[in-house]
Amino acid sequence: MIWHPDWAGVLTGQPLQWIISGFLTTLYVSMAGSVLATLLVVLLIALRLSQSRLARGAVAAFVSVFRNTPLLVQLLFWYFAAYGALPQSWRFYIGDTHAWAVFPGNIAWLTPEFVCAAWGLGLFTAAFLVEEVQAGLNSVPKGQTEAAISQGFSRKTLLLSILLPQALTNAWQPITGQYLNLMKLSSLATGIGFSELTYQVSQIESYNAHAFEGFAVGTLLYLALGMILGGLMTVFGPKRPQQRPQAEVNDGI
Amino acid sequence: MEFDWSVLHDNFTYMLWGRLADGEPGGVLLTLIMAVSAGVLALVLGVAMAALAWRFGGWTRKLLFLWASFIRGIPLIFVIFWLYFLLPVVFGGSIPGPLTVIIALAWFTSAAVMHSTLAGLESLPRGQTEAGIASGMSYSQVLLNVLLPQAWPNLLPSYLGLLISLVKDTSLAFIVNVPELTTVAGQVNNRVQIYPAEIFLFVGLMYYLLCASLAYVAGKSIKRRQALRA
Repeated sequence: MIWHPDWAGVLTGQPLQWIISGFLTTLYVSMAGSVLATLLVVLLIALRLSQSRLARGAVAAFVSVFRNTPLLVQLLFWYFAAYGALPQSWRFYIGDTHAWAVFPGNIAWLTPEFVCAAWGLGLFTAAFLVEEVQAGLNSVPKGQTEAAISQGFSRKTLLLSILLPQALTNAWQPITGQYLNLMKLSSLATGIGFSELTYQVSQIESYNAHAFEGFAVGTLLYLALGMILGGLMTVFGPKRPQQRPQAEVNDGI
Repeated sequence: MEFDWSVLHDNFTYMLWGRLADGEPGGVLLTLIMAVSAGVLALVLGVAMAALAWRFGGWTRKLLFLWASFIRGIPLIFVIFWLYFLLPVVFGGSIPGPLTVIIALAWFTSAAVMHSTLAGLESLPRGQTEAGIASGMSYSQVLLNVLLPQAWPNLLPSYLGLLISLVKDTSLAFIVNVPELTTVAGQVNNRVQIYPAEIFLFVGLMYYLLCASLAYVAGKSIKRRQALRA
């Protein structure tokens, strides 16, 4: 087969505009979803550590439902069923154009698609993140809790200053993986007609039949975004304290 | 909000097995067919890749890991798009949609199968391999008769976890209009328009039942394993 890729058909004019806008939309919706997921995880962990059986049962039910159903079905539910059940005045308001609700690059964020995608991604990812944080908490040795209690720490300080920092450090890699997954899964929002990167790339195919070039550019952009975000999370994430020199241990003896 | 479940009653068999009578399975049945066949393919591919990485190490291993991280780095939709585009070029004819999605899912999942299998193989004591080789077995005999049978019980829960992901991932066939459960539900929703909540709650429940029962089996097999060790 003799076939020459034509990159100009993708990297100029209208297709380029689509790709840029799609890339930015993917970036913004991932950030919005991540913020929502993070807030939810804080709430879920607080509920799970509470004394109330009802609260712990609610968290277990939430995690079970959101982990055992496909994200795409959840997105379809939020978009077609839940959004449609909102009061009509809300829907008119969200469906309206708002000059102030625009991210740089002319990406409107107060649209039904953006709101449903960010919401759906946030809830889905929270159900996975909470288990990663829990695994991190479980990995902290029991002696840490006992030592803190014997030193007179309150439950709150114990959790916030002793357990969580260690848990997050231990589980940072899988936590990063979940945030990266959120970014990749935002591609599913194309199923509710949300014009993020995947949607825009497939639009090129019907525009000028440059499917190969479009998919290649899309693939590279997702890979690059994943590497950059993953790198940033590793650099700015919690780190294990440096190993202490052996001599220090012998000092007191 | 008032629910009207008659929409489910009217479309129940269509959502369960699609147009099976016309020889075109759909709905839950197609979801299961795709998940299981992709699972079998992914298992074979993943174990084969793990075996290569285990046997040769070095560059082979590095290349396989690079390949796996490439697959993990892109969204599953893109794997499906690529295959929709490439398979007809390679095979010189049109490939049925469900088959394309099955191959895409298997390809995507095989990377994860490789990682878990390799971890399972390498968690076994080195002496097992050495004893096998010393007894005159070939590497493939060691792998098939000594290592894999021992690693299998440890690997089963992680394989079941991957199968759960596969069941959920078949929903992506919606994007390319292959008539499995999610697509079929989307069709019904487009046709009747006014009962999205009933339809998508039902679809969610179907997936939930499938995945939760698999998760239950996986949990049991972990417990049995722990009981054996104790």
